[in-house]
Amino acid sequence: MNIPTNFALKRGPELALEGLYRKLDAPFPFNEILLSEANDEQLKALAIESGTGLSLDEMKALVDYFALQGRNPTEVELQSIGQAWSEHCCYKSSKQILKEFVFGIDNPQVIDRGDAGVMEFDENNAYSLRIESHNHPSAVEPYGGAATGIGGIVRDVLCMGCQPIALIDPLFFGNLDTPMDKLPKGTKHPRYLFSGVVSGIRDYGNRIGVPTLSGGVFFDESYTGNCLVNVGCVGIASKSHLYKNRVGGVGDNLVLVGGRTGRDGIHGVTFASAVLTKKSETESRGAVQLGDPITKEPVIHAVLEVARRGIISGMKDLGGGGLSCVCGELAYAAGFGVEVQLDKVPTKEDGLLPWEIWVSESQERMMLAVTDENLEEVLHVFKFNDVEATVVGRVIPEQVARVFFNGVKILDMELKFLTGGPEYCRPREIRKPEQKVGENPPKEPADYTKPLLELLASQNICSRDWVIRQYDHEVRGNTVLKPLQGVLGHACHGDASVLKPVEDSWKGLAITTAVNPWVMAIDPYRGGKGVIDEMCRNLVAVGSRPHSFSNCLNFGNPEKPERLGEFYEALKGLGEAAARLNIPTPSGNVSFYNESESTSVMPTAVLLGVGIHPDVRKSITSDLKAQGNLIYLVGKTGAEMGGSAFYRLAGGTSSQVPDTDIPMLAKSMDAMLQAMGKGFVHSCHDISDGGLGVAISEMCIGGQLGAELDLGAMGSLPSTSKLFAESNTRWLGEVQPKDASEFESLFKEITITKLGEVSGSDLVICSGEELLVDTRISDLENAWRHTLWKQMGGSE
Amino acid sequence: MRPEDVKICILRIEGTNCEDESLLAFKRLGANVELVHLKQLTGQDVWDSEKRDLMDYHILMIPGGFSSGDYVRAGAIWAARIKSKLSSPLTEFIKEGRAVLGVCNGFQVLVEMGFLPGIDGVMSQVPQAVLTTNDSSRFECRPTLLKYVNNFNCIFTHKLNQGQVLLVPSAHAEGKLLFPTEKAEKIYKDLEENDQIVFKYVDQNGEYAGYPWNPNGSPRNIAGICNPSGNVMGMMPHPERVFHRFTHPDWTRGFSSPVGDGRIIFESVLESVMKKL
Repeated sequence: MNIPTNFALKRGPELALEGLYRKLDAPFPFNEILLSEANDEQLKALAIESGTGLSLDEMKALVDYFALQGRNPTEVELQSIGQAWSEHCCYKSSKQILKEFVFGIDNPQVIDRGDAGVMEFDENNAYSLRIESHNHPSAVEPYGGAATGIGGIVRDVLCMGCQPIALIDPLFFGNLDTPMDKLPKGTKHPRYLFSGVVSGIRDYGNRIGVPTLSGGVFFDESYTGNCLVNVGCVGIASKSHLYKNRVGGVGDNLVLVGGRTGRDGIHGVTFASAVLTKKSETESRGAVQLGDPITKEPVIHAVLEVARRGIISGMKDLGGGGLSCVCGELAYAAGFGVEVQLDKVPTKEDGLLPWEIWVSESQERMMLAVTDENLEEVLHVFKFNDVEATVVGRVIPEQVARVFFNGVKILDMELKFLTGGPEYCRPREIRKPEQKVGENPPKEPADYTKPLLELLASQNICSRDWVIRQYDHEVRGNTVLKPLQGVLGHACHGDASVLKPVEDSWKGLAITTAVNPWVMAIDPYRGGKGVIDEMCRNLVAVGSRPHSFSNCLNFGNPEKPERLGEFYEALKGLGEAAARLNIPTPSGNVSFYNESESTSVMPTAVLLGVGIHPDVRKSITSDLKAQGNLIYLVGKTGAEMGGSAFYRLAGGTSSQVPDTDIPMLAKSMDAMLQAMGKGFVHSCHDISDGGLGVAISEMCIGGQLGAELDLGAMGSLPSTSKLFAESNTRWLGEVQPKDASEFESLFKEITITKLGEVSGSDLVICSGEELLVDTRISDLENAWRHTLWKQMGGSE
Repeated sequence: MRPEDVKICILRIEGTNCEDESLLAFKRLGANVELVHLKQLTGQDVWDSEKRDLMDYHILMIPGGFSSGDYVRAGAIWAARIKSKLSSPLTEFIKEGRAVLGVCNGFQVLVEMGFLPGIDGVMSQVPQAVLTTNDSSRFECRPTLLKYVNNFNCIFTHKLNQGQVLLVPSAHAEGKLLFPTEKAEKIYKDLEENDQIVFKYVDQNGEYAGYPWNPNGSPRNIAGICNPSGNVMGMMPHPERVFHRFTHPDWTRGFSSPVGDGRIIFESVLESVMKKL
């Protein structure tokens, strides 16, 4: 009897499983699994022991399939199914909901929906985009987890034939000041995770020479047990160099390029498809891959070289499930099958078992489909770049996968069955916002300067320069608007970054990140609409028109009806808004099971938004430009304080979160872009976390200019709402007096309010007779600048 | 001689990652520039059609990046690889007065190879200086202002006016230029006498200042130096990133010309070479 190493790690209940393994005749440890003889208890135990995490029903589907074949599966076949049918790979809990709300949004500018989505940029060029999660690996090993997250997302863009030109990384951690004794057993301190994740992104992203242009860092208790690390990438290519994630035809060689295969990253996808436990550290460390940017950098060169020369048929990156997923998917996507010689795969060490090689998620690997005719040239390009390239398989006409190891057939399955994972319509429970939180408004403060300074200093609003300046955001020399904008030495947060991706054109790509978990936690439906609104606001604020987005949906355990209810409502809102605005989402990623034994994360739908800028030389930044210019508020403010930064600070609660009037959003975007096109808008900032008060403060800091505002014209709202409400579809805009009337005339049926003007070096805000805020810009800047530095250390 | 007659080699190995924008900087000026992998000069693993001869070029540029990962002292690995295969042709190249530019990682490589500061001869057997870890011990990506302090010895900057300040962004973790403590004073004296200091970090008022204006803590605010004959220059900041005004960090606050501050460095060397030929 022989249970291979690793295989028996997750020994579940004390069950006699040995009897279910039968050693097969082979020159290496190799077992068949006697499913036909297993009872339900043993099937469950097998699923645990094999690390595949398959459910009883899924195990039974396997039993039936192999009963029809008249044989039992090999351990390699069981592992293969475990990968292909994991939540991570086949979206079994989310697919139906995604179909219902977002897959339908179509648009002639969508060119492809592969590992990354591909959109039209101009007549000759296309851009690609994708954002995905790398949460669980980062929770266990922050540095390696984050680094390999970047590696994976870059390959997704690369395998469409695109040059990666931008990285995006929204990060979510527990509060930095969490006391050690409040830390759940087996979880790492937020400060350690934050520092490790940023270092991992920095050392990988900077080394491969792709600028990090957007992201965000968010802190909340709900992320203490399960931090979220999302990574996004945007790429560009000439349309003639785009590729599909599929083989060209029968006879194509499968060429494995890049890093060697090792024991790192085994069961990554099944690890990602279960909740974290205090044992994750010891049990799942091996599921975290090891990254190597200096293998990756030449892989990018070589892959783009063969893509430009047009000597490959198609390609796909090796991500979740490793070879076990890529071989079948690459061939089956073109209606064919594949034969793989697993012993040809270069390994990091001797003695890897066939099933380990088959499912390992070792990094920096891509699979290329190449005809015999082009093979020599392709292999040369990789040798030239010092990148290993090996023929490991061949495309066959039958739609099956056959895998051989040292001449022994170890897997033989129909791709229809292997890749056709289950789809579930799991029970969901939808709770009304009022059921979750009550109406407990904090009392109106006597003075509004203090709460404003406290908001600016709060960990979710304060300066991000500690992070941003560690990332190279200018490599490739095309960054027109940086993440920090304004006077040298005082630059402040912008709404979006802008790139000039094509040498002979001034057309640009605007890139932003949008998310608001606090609102989504109270009202997932409004939260879903709101996140689309925020994305549009950010992209419009720099003068670009929203064009597409990729989504990373981080939720808890979908087997809990309430969690799936949140997912359903969020997607409903998100889909409604995107559909009405006709902004497609050609790629995305769902990350469930983001909970530990102690906590579940807030529903966190993160968008990577991309806008098209007609002329980057007309880009608009958030910093105030000149004394005497007028400051306008565009959009309607309501007493919608639920989930707001101010209520979180002041300890109030409300179920009234900001709603979105989608037709009004569409109308407002048009008017804003028209005004910007005419050159009327000299600075612009969207209003989000911390409301109008924080937005104007950031504009003052970046421009080192003061402002005098009167909020009286905003109507009879409480001053806290006027200053701190986070109502959607609102911007602040700076306009020269001479353009005022023409500017105003562009906003028909849209609420705009002249609040005041750029003036002096203080921020003075009153509402009619009442003085609300009166403070120096230097005080605003001091409050805003130092929080992260104090938490993370290091000299400023 | 016309710009298209000037042949420029942008050298790369694994981990160089500023080669595309460096190539474009010269290309936009009409020069005949190409990316060349180190192997094309050494002849390893390449087809005949891919082989290149260093002596066919007028300008060699070593661009920024993380050559071979820079897991040991930045630039050390690449320097060792060039030295082992190309020290004599490269020494010849420099002796003949041809131009060599190293930006960021390229500067680190030129120092590691002993071509900079190059006080006693073209190439010193052991490095005479080191570009070491920033005082902040962090990677620093930020705008930096450079004051031109050279007296026209350097062929990469002769179009600049004395005291002129350029905005050229920095992005590095190891940019602090140090010399052996016991020799430092003498070396600074030599650098001044040989007119080898080209750029110094200044603040927004043009004054010498500390962090963050000097992003790495380099003594005497030195950002870039050249060799005594002025045909080899190394600098930490990235001129290729500000070829256009529209990639400056603060251009939306108003500007007089669409030309970026980095462009003049590429123009200068191109002109110098064209004059000579």
